[in-house]
Amino acid sequence: MSDVNLKEWSQARHLRPRASPLMRMLVVATIALIGVGVTPFFIDAYSVNVLVRSMIYASIALSVDILWGYLGVLTFGQSAFFAAGAYVTALIFTYQGFSAELAFAALVIGIAVAVAMAGLVAFLAFWHGATDLYASVITLVLPIVVTQLLFSGGTFTGSSSGLTGFETVPLSIEAWFWVVGAWLVILTSAAWLYTRSDAGQLLVAIRENEQRCQYLGLNTSNIKAVIFLICASIGAIAGWMYANYTMVVAPEIAGFVFGTELLIWVALGGRGTLFGPVIGTLIIDYASAHLQGDFPFIWKLVIGVIFVSVIVALPRGLLPVASSSLNWLRSLVIKAQPKERTPMQLRQASERSSTAANEGGGAALVVSGVEKRFGSLKVLSGIDFEATYGEIVSLVGPNGAGKTTLMTCIADGLKRSGGTISVAGVDIGHRPPNQCVRLGVGRKFQMANVFDTLTVGECLQIARARLDGLSKWHKSGICNLPQSALHIIRATGLDNDLDVPAQVLSHGKKQALELAMVLALEPKVILLDEPTAGLTKAERTLIGTILTELAKTEQLCILLVEHDLDFVREISSRVIVLHQGRIVLNGSVDEVVNSELVKSVYAGSGH
Amino acid sequence: MIATILDIITTAAILYIVASGLLLVFGVMKLINFAHGGLMTLGGYAAVIATAIGVNPWIGIPLAAIFGAIVGLGMERIVVRSLYNRPLDAILATWGLSIIIGQIITLVFDRGVHFAEPPIRGVVSLLGESYSTYRLVLTVLALLLGLGLTLILKGTSLGLSTRAVIMNEDLARGLGINSGLVRTVTFTLGSGLAAVAGALITPLSSVYPDMGTAWLISAFMLVLVSGSSLYSLAIASVVLGGAQVIVSGYFGAVLGGMTIAALAAVILRIRPQGFSYE
Repeated sequence: MSDVNLKEWSQARHLRPRASPLMRMLVVATIALIGVGVTPFFIDAYSVNVLVRSMIYASIALSVDILWGYLGVLTFGQSAFFAAGAYVTALIFTYQGFSAELAFAALVIGIAVAVAMAGLVAFLAFWHGATDLYASVITLVLPIVVTQLLFSGGTFTGSSSGLTGFETVPLSIEAWFWVVGAWLVILTSAAWLYTRSDAGQLLVAIRENEQRCQYLGLNTSNIKAVIFLICASIGAIAGWMYANYTMVVAPEIAGFVFGTELLIWVALGGRGTLFGPVIGTLIIDYASAHLQGDFPFIWKLVIGVIFVSVIVALPRGLLPVASSSLNWLRSLVIKAQPKERTPMQLRQASERSSTAANEGGGAALVVSGVEKRFGSLKVLSGIDFEATYGEIVSLVGPNGAGKTTLMTCIADGLKRSGGTISVAGVDIGHRPPNQCVRLGVGRKFQMANVFDTLTVGECLQIARARLDGLSKWHKSGICNLPQSALHIIRATGLDNDLDVPAQVLSHGKKQALELAMVLALEPKVILLDEPTAGLTKAERTLIGTILTELAKTEQLCILLVEHDLDFVREISSRVIVLHQGRIVLNGSVDEVVNSELVKSVYAGSGH
Repeated sequence: MIATILDIITTAAILYIVASGLLLVFGVMKLINFAHGGLMTLGGYAAVIATAIGVNPWIGIPLAAIFGAIVGLGMERIVVRSLYNRPLDAILATWGLSIIIGQIITLVFDRGVHFAEPPIRGVVSLLGESYSTYRLVLTVLALLLGLGLTLILKGTSLGLSTRAVIMNEDLARGLGINSGLVRTVTFTLGSGLAAVAGALITPLSSVYPDMGTAWLISAFMLVLVSGSSLYSLAIASVVLGGAQVIVSGYFGAVLGGMTIAALAAVILRIRPQGFSYE
C-alpha cells in the first residue's frame, strides 16, 4: 500500500468528528466536582461523615488499581504507605502540637517516609528476573513489618491502641468533604489521562509481556519502581487526610488485612477500570457503615461471598458488566455505531547519526570464548566468531546444539558463564537485555512475541518508546519508524491492521510485526530465531528478500537461527554449524553444504 | 541454653506441622491456599467443640481433620478448580474463602476468645531442664507427620501420581494420570492437615475467629523458601523458626513476630529457589 492510500484511508476515518477524550474527561470531571460541591446540602450529616472516609479510601484504592489493574503488580502493601502518612501526621501533631506549617511538614514528611519505604520494597521486589509472585510476597511482608514496628513503638506510637486526641487541621465536616472530594476527582482524572496515554499503554505492555519490553530496551524494573513510588505517595496523602479527619490512628490501618480489603474493593469494582474501584469503594464502604451496625457479621459474610464469586466468575469486576449491559440497552434504542479510534499515523523517523553504516571498520559482533553451563552440564563451550556489518550469518545445527542459548547469551549479558561478547566494539559485560539493546542488539524470539491485547500501532509505539519517548497525557496517534520497519509493515500489509489487536493477527503477520518492532529499535546487530518457522512459502520468500535488502542497504549484521537449509542457502553470506555446544564449522554456504561433517552431524553420528 | 535449643526444636516442629498442608497444595497445584489460615481456625474450633461436649481432648484432632477435609473438598469443587490458570486470583479467592469461614465461625460462636482443653498438661524433666510435655509431643508428631507424608508420596500409587504431577503435569496427564483427581485429593488432604494443625496449636494459643491469619503468613513464607520439598521445609522451619526464637529472646516477641517474614523475603532476594536444592 502506498503512502497516498494510507493517507486517504486515515482521512476516511476522520470524517465523523467526535469530542476528544480530553474534552470528555473535562466535562465528566466538572460534573463530578459540581456533584461534590452540592452533595453535603442534600444528605444527612452522618452520611457526609462516612463519605469523607469512603472517599479517602477510594483514593488509595485507585492507587491499588493502577498497580494491580494496569501494571499487574498484585500489592498487599498499600496499607503500609497509608499508615506512614497517617502516623507521621499523628506523631507530629501529638508531640509538636498543631500549626499550619507543621500540617504541611507532616504531609511532606509522610510522603517522604512512604517513598523511602516504597524504594526499599521496589529494590527488593523489582529486579531483572524477579517473578510476579515474589513482588507480591514482598508487598505482603511490608505491612507485617510495619505493623510489628508500630506495636513495638511502645508509648511513642501508642502500641496497639494507637494515637488519639491530637489537634488537627480545623475544617468542618463539609469542608473536608469538599477537599477530599475535589482531590479524588482530580486524582481520578489525572490517572484516567495517564492510563489512556501512550505511556499508560506501556504499563499494560509490561503486564502483558515484561520480557518483550526488556528486549525492546526498556528498563521495566525502573518503570515499575517509579509507578510504585508514585502510588506510595498517593497512599501517604490519603493517610495524611485520614489522620487529620478522623483524629485517630491505630496499627490496623497498616495491616495486611486492610491491604487485602483494598484489593477486595478494587476487584469488586473492576480492576483496570479506575472508575470501578473508586465507585466500588464508595459504595461498599458507605454501605458497610450503614449495615454494619444492624448486621455486623452477616454483612462481612455477604461481602466475602460476593468477592469470591466475582473473582471466579467475573474477574474483570462489576463495572465492565454494568457498562456493557448499559451499552446493550443503548444499542436497542440507538443504532450501533462503530467504535471510533484515533487512527495511528506512521511516519518516517529522522536518520540517526550513529546508524550502522557510519561505523565503518570493525566487527559488528565479536564472540570469544563464550561458555554456558547449567550446573555441570556444558551447553556451550569455546564459542569464537566474528560478524561484520552487512553480513547475514546463519547458525545451524541439530536441536539442542545450543543455538538459541547462544542468542540469549548475546542479548543478555547476565546469561553466559564465561567468555566475552562485544557489540559494535563495546563489551556487553553483565548488562541486562535492556542495556544490550542500547548497544545495538535487537532480538526476535522463536515464538512470535508481541503484546497480544495492544493494537499493532501500539506495539510499534512501545518498540519506539526507548528512542522517542511516550506521551504521558494523550494518545499522540503518531509513530515514527525507520525506513526498514516501515518497509516490512507495508510489504506485509500490516499498515491496514494498525488498529487491530495483535492477538487476532495471523501467525505470519505476527512474525512480521515482531520483526518490525525489532527493526524499530534501530539495531546494529539483529538476532532472529527461526523467523520463518510456520510461514508459507510466499511469506518465507518475502522475509528472505527483506532480510537480504536490509543487510545490504542498512548495513545490518544479521544473525539467524534456521532449520530450513534451503532458506539458509538462499540468503546467508556465511554459515556457522553448532553441534553439542561447539562450533564445528564456520564458512561459506558452499563449504558448509558440501561438508561431510555437516551431513554426519545432521544424520546424528558426528563426533 | 538447653531451654533455647528445645525452644528452637519445638518451634520448628510446630511451624512444620502448620506449613506442611500448605506446602502440599503449593507443590502439587502451584497454588497458594490463603484459606489455610481460615482452615486452621476451623480446626481450633473443632478442639473447642470437643471440649464443650466433654470428650477426650485428643478426639478434637480427628474431628478437625474431618471438618477441614470436608470444607476443603467443597472449596476445591466449587471455587479453586476454576482458578488453576490464574494463580494470583487464586490467592485472592482463597483469602475470600478464609473470610467466609471466619464470619461463619463468628456467627456460630462469637467474636470472643475460647479455650480448648489441652490433651496433655504439665512438664517433664529433660537434660536438667523442665520443659512443656505438650511441645515435646508436638515435636514427635511433626516427625511422624513428615515420615507419614514421605511414605504416602514414595510408597503409594497415589503418591507416585502426585509426584508425577508435581514434576510435569502435562506429561502426567498425557500418560493417563487423572490430574484433576490428584488435585482434589491433595487439596482435601492439605485442608485436613491445616485444620489438624489448628487443633494441635490450641493449647499454645487462644482460639478466636482470626487466629489463623498470623500463622498463615509464617506458613506462606516457609513454603515459598522451601519450594515443593518436605525436606527443604524441615530445614527452613529449623532455620527461620530458630531465628524467630532468638530474635524473640533478645528483642521481644513483637519483633520476633516479623522475623520469619522479613528473613524469608531477604533469602528469596538472594537465592530465589530458597532452601530447595534444585
